[in-house]
Amino acid sequence: MNAEAPIEPAPPDLLTEAAPVMRRRFSADWMVALLLPVLTGVAWEAAVRLGLASGRLMPPPSRLAVTAWGLIRTGELQTHVAATMTRVAFGFVFGALAGTALGTLTGASAWMRRLLDPTIQAIRAIPSIAWVPLFILWLGIFETSKLALVSLGVFFPVYLGVLSAIQGVDRKLIEVGRVFGLSPAKLVWRITLPAILPSWVSALRTGLGLGFMFVLAAELLGASEGLGYLLLDGEQMGRADSILVAMITFAILGKLCDSLLVAVSRPILAWQDTARTRL
Amino acid sequence: MTEFTGRHLAVSHVTKTYANGTQALLDVTLEAAAGEIVSLVGTSGCGKTTLLRLIAGLDRASGGAILVGGQPTRGTHRAISAVFQEPRLLPWLTVAQNIEFGGQDLVPSDRRGRAAGLLERIGLAGFGQYLPKNLSGGQQQRVAIARALIGHPGILLLDEPFSALDPFTRATLHELLLGLWRELRPTVVMVTHDVEEAVVLADRVVVMKPRPGRIAETITIRLPRPRDRLSPLFDAAKRRVMQSIDRSLSEHAPPAHKQATEGSAFWW
Repeated sequence: MNAEAPIEPAPPDLLTEAAPVMRRRFSADWMVALLLPVLTGVAWEAAVRLGLASGRLMPPPSRLAVTAWGLIRTGELQTHVAATMTRVAFGFVFGALAGTALGTLTGASAWMRRLLDPTIQAIRAIPSIAWVPLFILWLGIFETSKLALVSLGVFFPVYLGVLSAIQGVDRKLIEVGRVFGLSPAKLVWRITLPAILPSWVSALRTGLGLGFMFVLAAELLGASEGLGYLLLDGEQMGRADSILVAMITFAILGKLCDSLLVAVSRPILAWQDTARTRL
Repeated sequence: MTEFTGRHLAVSHVTKTYANGTQALLDVTLEAAAGEIVSLVGTSGCGKTTLLRLIAGLDRASGGAILVGGQPTRGTHRAISAVFQEPRLLPWLTVAQNIEFGGQDLVPSDRRGRAAGLLERIGLAGFGQYLPKNLSGGQQQRVAIARALIGHPGILLLDEPFSALDPFTRATLHELLLGLWRELRPTVVMVTHDVEEAVVLADRVVVMKPRPGRIAETITIRLPRPRDRLSPLFDAAKRRVMQSIDRSLSEHAPPAHKQATEGSAFWW
């Protein structure tokens, strides 16, 4: 087998070689992905223009654009977005930190797992929305109770992800560390942590998704600003267009945040030997 | 940093009984002189891998002692390093970083210098910045060998390190291993199920027998290196080891269907 000849010329960099092909694929993927929503939008617009539908309950794209522009021009949409994103951001940070810390603790120590995990699992069994009355009672109806709810939603997937990732670290790699004389602390730093990184990122993504879910729940239950408020307001005013604008904004924000997380984590996960070329 | 001088290895009356009562090793005594190459061969279930894990300090013996340089040891030992059946490279480190990983006790400048030298030595100069996933199995195993040798260990343990490779790659890696051994002179204990490999590499071949794992016979191979695999003397030595393995089995006379195939030795 000549691949095993003692000295072989360094092959051209595999990554740069493949990159142009992948980039072309990537833009083609974008086109395909946009096909369905764009066609649907055009069809609906045509249906309303031709008088086949009134478009009152399901406004056509042109009316949505007008509504969105109106909300942007008055700065209303920005205010709602800022309020929602602040809640998501703080809730995500708190929930992710707590989930990572506790997950690491229970993952690393069997004793801690026996002590803490049953209680955490029991709390997880409570539907998170059930905490709302208590949070309002404890923390008031303003920001703190909303942050608590978002944090709780983010906490569980991150906790579970980190815990199971630590338990799933390949024993064979741990043994390599032991043979080469790593101290327990160094073993965690040099083997366990890098090994769980991919699962941790997945857990954070799940957590972020739930963060958006819970921020909406919090805002629907009482808020004076935020996308949830915009939704509720649209319902009460019979404004399907502002409801849809809020929903689309949610979709864009959620996707943007997830992409940001993926983009940030990609360089540190490049070592993975998986079929998945992008997350 | 000083090089490690603990090159003499003694396994004294070592017994290993698993929690479920399985007796994996019974009263195994074995010595390897400084710089000697010892091969452990035998059918699966004879405890050769178990013995290697005990020497590496990855498992604890139920009885007996393991001495490095005359000192009893428990757990892993700074003078002992190992190559496993699979390369077990850390996938998030580059090839160079993986080699450096084996030199935990070296100062950073030494570590980098030696890693660069070893990269060249194993024929992978220019691959230092690659990730393990971009290397072939044979290349990865070379990196694992370099990682095990960067700290100039007194004792090198090899657990069927070439069993997953094709015969050509295997022969090349035998040469590489012998070359590095000549330079650094570690004591080598190597588990293999390939009799030819044992005879090519070892000064002594230790034949083990199963249920419970014990040493059946020790055969000294007095062939000069480099060894010609096609010479009649080589063939005779090979036959001698095979006969010993056969004898160890028939003596024990296990029912035919219970004779495990070598494939099951891959569990490690």
